Amino acid sequence: MFTNNLYKFILIIFIFLIHSPISYAENKGPVFSSVGLSFLQKNCLSCHSGAKPKGELSLDGYKDSASLIKNRKVWDNVVKNIISGEMPPKSKPRPTVKESENFIALVHSIFDFNDRNAKPNPGNVTVRRLNRVEYKNTVRDLIGIDFDPTDNFPSDDIGHGFDNIGDVLTLSPVLMERYLSAAETIMSRAIVPEPAPVIKRHLSSRYTEPSLSDQAAAKVIEGKFRRMESDSKENNLSGPLHTSYMWESDGEYVFRAKVYANSVDSNPVRLAVLISDKNLSSKSLDSELELLAGNFPKNSLILKTFEIKADKPANAEVIEVKIPAMKVRDKILIAVYKTMPGKTGNKAFVEYMALDGPLDSRPTSHRELLLADPRKSLLLQTREIISRFLFKAYRRPPNPDEIQRSIVLVDTAMKKGEKWESAMQFAMQAVLCSPKFLFKLEMDGKPNSTDVKKLDDFQLASRLSYFIWSSMPDQILFDLASKKQLVANLDKQVVRMLQDPKSSALVQNFALQWLQIKRLDLVSPDIKLFPSFDLKLRSAMRTETELFFSSIIKEDRSILDLIDSDYTFLNETLAKHYGIADTKGNMIGKKLTQTGGLPIRGDEFLRVSLSDKSRGGLLTQASILTATSNPTRTSPVKRGRWVLEQILGSPPPPPPPDVPELSADDKSVAQGSLRQRMEQHRKNPSCANCHAKMDPIGFALENFNAIGAFRTKDGNFDIDASGEFSDGTTFKGPADLKNIVNLKKDDFTRCLAEKMLIYALGRGLEYYDRPVIEKIVKHVSDNDYKFSSLVSAIVQSNAFQKSLKVEN
Amino acid sequence: MKPFSLLSRRTILKGLGISISLPWLEAMGPVATWANAIPSQNIAPNRMAFLYVPNGKNMADWTPKSEGSDFEITPILQPLAKVKDKLLVLSGLTADKARAHGDGGGDHARALSAFLTGAQPRKTDGTNIRSGISVDQVAASRIGDKVRLPSLEIGCEQGSMAGNCDSGYSCVYSSTMSWRSSTQPLPKEVNPKLVFERLFATGPDAGKAKREARNKSILDYVRDDSKNIANQLGKSDIRKLDEYFTAIRDIELRIKRSEKLPAIKVPDIQPPTGIPAVFEEHIKLMCDLIVLAFQADITRVVTFVLANEGSNKPYPFIKVSEGHHDLSHHGNDQAKKEKIKQINLFHVSQLAYLLEKLKATKEGEGNLLNHSMIAYGSGNSDGNAHNHDDLPILLAGGGCGTLSSGRHLRFSKETPLNNLWLSMLNRMDINIDRLGDSTGALASLK
Repeated sequence: MFTNNLYKFILIIFIFLIHSPISYAENKGPVFSSVGLSFLQKNCLSCHSGAKPKGELSLDGYKDSASLIKNRKVWDNVVKNIISGEMPPKSKPRPTVKESENFIALVHSIFDFNDRNAKPNPGNVTVRRLNRVEYKNTVRDLIGIDFDPTDNFPSDDIGHGFDNIGDVLTLSPVLMERYLSAAETIMSRAIVPEPAPVIKRHLSSRYTEPSLSDQAAAKVIEGKFRRMESDSKENNLSGPLHTSYMWESDGEYVFRAKVYANSVDSNPVRLAVLISDKNLSSKSLDSELELLAGNFPKNSLILKTFEIKADKPANAEVIEVKIPAMKVRDKILIAVYKTMPGKTGNKAFVEYMALDGPLDSRPTSHRELLLADPRKSLLLQTREIISRFLFKAYRRPPNPDEIQRSIVLVDTAMKKGEKWESAMQFAMQAVLCSPKFLFKLEMDGKPNSTDVKKLDDFQLASRLSYFIWSSMPDQILFDLASKKQLVANLDKQVVRMLQDPKSSALVQNFALQWLQIKRLDLVSPDIKLFPSFDLKLRSAMRTETELFFSSIIKEDRSILDLIDSDYTFLNETLAKHYGIADTKGNMIGKKLTQTGGLPIRGDEFLRVSLSDKSRGGLLTQASILTATSNPTRTSPVKRGRWVLEQILGSPPPPPPPDVPELSADDKSVAQGSLRQRMEQHRKNPSCANCHAKMDPIGFALENFNAIGAFRTKDGNFDIDASGEFSDGTTFKGPADLKNIVNLKKDDFTRCLAEKMLIYALGRGLEYYDRPVIEKIVKHVSDNDYKFSSLVSAIVQSNAFQKSLKVEN
Repeated sequence: MKPFSLLSRRTILKGLGISISLPWLEAMGPVATWANAIPSQNIAPNRMAFLYVPNGKNMADWTPKSEGSDFEITPILQPLAKVKDKLLVLSGLTADKARAHGDGGGDHARALSAFLTGAQPRKTDGTNIRSGISVDQVAASRIGDKVRLPSLEIGCEQGSMAGNCDSGYSCVYSSTMSWRSSTQPLPKEVNPKLVFERLFATGPDAGKAKREARNKSILDYVRDDSKNIANQLGKSDIRKLDEYFTAIRDIELRIKRSEKLPAIKVPDIQPPTGIPAVFEEHIKLMCDLIVLAFQADITRVVTFVLANEGSNKPYPFIKVSEGHHDLSHHGNDQAKKEKIKQINLFHVSQLAYLLEKLKATKEGEGNLLNHSMIAYGSGNSDGNAHNHDDLPILLAGGGCGTLSSGRHLRFSKETPLNNLWLSMLNRMDINIDRLGDSTGALASLK
């Protein structure tokens, strides 16, 4: 976690070393000279000193605390090597454990004192290019088209557990080629310089609904026209005539029909054109519709009515209705009005129904991207459009040179004979290939200055939006940044952004990487041992964790609910896997304890309340239990390590080389249960220390098999999910484990805060980030551990808002 | 697994609906530009490919007991029996920089990232990634201008998807073999469809000329537009931006080169449509693409990572349901060692497929295998011990007459693996004195 990584370890040592012989000089912190120096002399300097020190490491220059602080990296390594037992080497006389511990504690107390009293350092984030997800989301929000242009991109490398780390995100020639071709594809979809001609549909009235048999047709077809009678009881005659169309929801259309009519009196025959769909957003009143002849046209809207003056085929007139964009629509109907009360016999004749559209076949993105004040000259429109596009693409106001260069591109293209639309498309395509779009640049007038600098409002807006949304800022953030009001409104914006659907990015990108759920895609449990494991179950496992984490964000719950909660989300597949019968959490095949539950059926996920403590919270979700198992069996070590690393933030050191692993085959099962075999393994002193921390956690989860189903037996052995931590705390099963983890809530909060800060900044943490983390932890615990308080505290931190490019 | 006969291979490919197969390659005739040149200048170029397999080998079943040309085919080398005369089995080579040297655990990460670089990878989970330039990239930078693609990096497993991969090393290290510079790892392409498109510059055909013209002006534009940003950025930022500008320059050079080089025939086959679900088909398809790339002289340098280092992939299709990495810590359990052997055997069968296919592809007077150097191996020796000396290494092919193959050679202890790479570079007419931790070329390869 921290680059020098061992603080947690040291903290434990501190506790044991209350009587440690660390002496303090007045206000200057712990003193290295006496205890430290004598340790060095006794154990290190015989090799690491003089003109040719071993390993090119000379330690004879270190006489006081200040000299250590100056060479922190060297000392991080020295401490690591002593802790791992690598130094002093086995061939030399070694210090006692106590002596080593005292020495390490001393060195750390020196750094600790220094860190607490040092000038704050916000650190420096290496410029980050957009990763795949960010690129896709940014294109979605910038261009307004929804497809994945990153399909061909090479996968992003991972550093510090996340795929958005500037130092690790490289840009290879292959990726650059893909950027070029993605830009082309995106813009060719977004802007269509040669719109397709408007589609025209023509339907002879003979073939409109209600459909006519040949016999019926002989009665109602007169020449090219179909007769409608106002007062007939036959649908064929009374109408309304109608037909269904396929519509583009954002398109405008024109409907036409050629008609004439015969009236029984001096009043003209009236016709109505209607549109219908059962989900129509506005419908005509029944009282209006009842005036129409024939079948009652329910779920319809009268678009327009016409008084028909033409009275014979020769002077038949064309009626026309413009139909605006509508979300849903199905049929168009032509209805004749009933004859005036007391009279009968009006007739209307229809030759055809025709529909043209969408009138503008250009996609919405085209219209929006090229939107400009039409009263301006083309040049000024170009400038308006380009300026707006550059602003959004570069996520800051463009400078005049940048605008000018883009306009030159448009100009040049037009001089070569391209249409304006095509030239604009090209200029935008070029912008999508610029490093100013592809990288989250945080430009700075004085990059070589050693001062701490505040990010400007636009840089902050981008950090914020890429943190919470994995995408560019929206208009609200841009507006606040333009008015320099973003900093003052940060907390409010955080709450708004977390409630926005785009915050699902935080689940997909932060949570799934933090929890290492993406590993789930790689595991392949043995199908013979776990026949119920299939793609459906795998995907349900993942969805449960996504929905659960999402509920913590959306309901702004306490982050401690992540450890233990009384609800989860299940579909039928996963409910069966868990043995849960209904939404009240009753178990399949057990006595009903909660009433009022709904059965969990089908693929839809339902919120399920959990009464049994063995489920609830991340630790007992099948996704995590499966991702931390081997293909053929559970791995208490992997599970224990996962909890230590991802939940408690105290990763155990890597195993010493050449350790025999446990065997999974039948022969060795005969030698004892998995647990018994592991305890055997822990007798090896080089393994015992760390396993004493990892294994008990894993044992507490042994009631879950390698795909997270509950069990009471492993092969022929009863599951024993009890145990004892090295500090003497005893437990039995997952519920106890959750309680114990919950007692360490500050460790958990610190761990989550560290992971989230790494993700938010896109860099690993350093020693100088410790005060920032402690401040965040305090803020979160002061605010009932609310999820939004964690995000707010990160966003309000110096590390997030400031930068120090050059350390002096 | 029995070695493939030509017929069964073709049948398999047909079954896949993939029409890449041997007869087609022959029907295409030589497509390399040099082959169409004046007969007196018909000198085939030498090529190099590096194939990597993770987690070491079951060394007892890998290393032949006898040395020289009479060496016996060991159980794992069995699939290569047919091309024995084209093999150099090289024992005793060491990747010293894959060792800890005070950095503690992480042998898998180091094994791959030191394999072609001979440089100590910096232990970091993300900040300041560093290894060294890899042998393929040295070759690419020296001879890449002769062909369309200076080098091709491919693999069958994506970069890992979660967490640090090995004891505090970023996943970059255990998933990347090719390093363009000490700070720039080159990601590998795992999708055969995209490899094909890259090789033959296919893709949407309409408006190709217009696209290339547009791309050229876009490259001019972005360079012009961003020339001033460097003085507003910090040091580490500038390094990242350099990657961008290098990439742009690369593309421009490539466009220029392809204007000069005669057009390549896009093979008249149905291009791959994606990543085959069956691992073996995936590997074979990648091998087919290597053969195509060499045959059409699109590139002369390929790196191919069959699976990432430390990969815990199970191989259920050869009845190994445990993960490869878990198994490799066999603790001398015979049953586990047998399974490791099966995995080793599977990988070697894929190599055999590639070598036989190269051999069956005529080129000038000889065949592609004669005109290639195919290195194959792992940066771990025994996966259980994580040792990096006495590595399992093969060098196959004739190297245009520069290799006397059909032998098992044993080098003295601690001979740097990079000496082999240096020797291969020499055979590509790239004469440099040192590469990573090399101490000199290997004398006995010819």
